[in-house]
Amino acid sequence: MKSAKDNVELISIPMVVDVPYRFAAGKYMTRFLTELRDNGKFYGIRCPLCNRVQLPPRIVCAVCHVKNSDWIELGNEGTLVGFTIMYLPLTDPTTGKPHEPPFAYGSVRLDGSDSVIDHFLNVEPVVEHIRIGMRMKVALKEREDRVGDLGDILHFDPVT
Amino acid sequence: MRKNVAIIGGGQTHHAARRHDVNQVELVNEAVRAALADAQMTIDEIDSVLFGNMEFFEGCHMTDCWLVDGSGAYGKPGLKITTGGTVGATIVGAGVHHVASGLFNKALCVGFEKQEEGDTGAILSGVAHPLFGRSLAGAAVGYFAMMATSYMAAWGAKEEHSAMVAVKARQNARKNEYAHLKLDISIQDALNSRMLSYPIRMLDMCPASNGACAMILADEKTARDRCAKPVWIRAMDTAHNEQFELDWRDVTTKKPIFSRVSASRLYRKLGVDDPSKYFDVFEIYEPATWAEMVWYEDLALCRPGDGFKLVENNMTAIDGPIPVNPSGGVLSTNCIGASAMLRIWEAALQIRGDAGGHQVVSKDIRRALATAYGGTNWTVLTALSGTMDD
Ligand SMILES: [Zn+2]
Repeated sequence: MKSAKDNVELISIPMVVDVPYRFAAGKYMTRFLTELRDNGKFYGIRCPLCNRVQLPPRIVCAVCHVKNSDWIELGNEGTLVGFTIMYLPLTDPTTGKPHEPPFAYGSVRLDGSDSVIDHFLNVEPVVEHIRIGMRMKVALKEREDRVGDLGDILHFDPVT
Repeated sequence: MRKNVAIIGGGQTHHAARRHDVNQVELVNEAVRAALADAQMTIDEIDSVLFGNMEFFEGCHMTDCWLVDGSGAYGKPGLKITTGGTVGATIVGAGVHHVASGLFNKALCVGFEKQEEGDTGAILSGVAHPLFGRSLAGAAVGYFAMMATSYMAAWGAKEEHSAMVAVKARQNARKNEYAHLKLDISIQDALNSRMLSYPIRMLDMCPASNGACAMILADEKTARDRCAKPVWIRAMDTAHNEQFELDWRDVTTKKPIFSRVSASRLYRKLGVDDPSKYFDVFEIYEPATWAEMVWYEDLALCRPGDGFKLVENNMTAIDGPIPVNPSGGVLSTNCIGASAMLRIWEAALQIRGDAGGHQVVSKDIRRALATAYGGTNWTVLTALSGTMDD
């Protein structure tokens, strides 16, 4: 590359790093994801000390540092706590393909849970159609298309 | 602090979107040489080197080994540190502990990022859990956008308030010779800039910068013998949030958010009653305009929900009663691994009276607070003063 300013050649070379790896979900995440995949159900896990129902389920409550033990079945409805309308064609790192902008996504607290799930919102991507506090319902992919990750959720639909 | 520690020198590069004129070693060495010159010290006198950046942002690992020539770490003890957005402040924290322990007297701290060489979006997606949220993990802008919609809904702030922060940062940056985005913009310009992720527009977000910062920390004896204007590290605090719980984006949450927890601990250590009066200037870590308004509240510069009113009333302007980011902040310059150290260095320059064009002159600067936050939701706060009596 030649810099226009001083006409000095400066070499810079495009390169690609490709990093294959295999991710172990662990016992708790595996149970959460298989319930979602096979039965279409959401399970949180409750801390025996602070009673927080955490998503995704994990071995230890970070706050109390005790082992989480109680599996709690959650409903498939919740409340929107934050959202955005994305205008950038962000690449989905799990597929390498861009999400088509503009699209709405947000953070939903499922009833009975102390944690939130981020996912697409099935609404027209205009601000007037989205409101913090609105009720949302999970829409899942068909059973045969579910693979056992959060992508098994299609989106959240507004509860009418 | 068991032993007192002071900043006895520092330096930074000219930050820019393109720095193809230098490689990573050359970039880092620019800041290291500036710091040594400022401290009137040679590299032989340095007895430990703390070094870091955001891992893999340049597409290579173990930058401490790659860049040992430029950092001056050859043959010296030291550590490599990578803690995401906070890394620059964490390096200083490690340096402070090195000196405070009595094991080292002169620690060189170096943070850098050469963002143009890597794909920061791709690397950041690796921060998200592969099975829980990675498919939506596009960029930091989405997280800040959700914080912003929550903030607007909860407190009634408008896009105009964001624009006011955007303008304040870039107008301050114009006074800072090292800043990246020196933009002569108006509120209307900010409101007309391209929408990235509602409600965040182009001018509401930080740039991707290349740059480095270096600072030299010393024990009290060295500082008093060798430095005309040492700046004392009075307290530091750091706190982690838990994984998966991104509820700091819900600004009404009652949960103990890491930045608030850290601030209240630091204030307790120093006996701070009213931080807006105790500290004379703030250099805070604001990758987005909305983050600055939330910081005001988390740092208790105002009541929860009143952050946007501070900027509306010009309270945090360079000549206001609570100057925040006279340097132009992260909104004007974001060379990730250096950004959090730049907050501390800029705060030190204000105390020394050496900030040049962006020096706060409307009041005497005796004490300053610098903040940082970043990857996996952790925060680092650093309190500085010009004398040990303050
Ligand atoms: Zn607990």
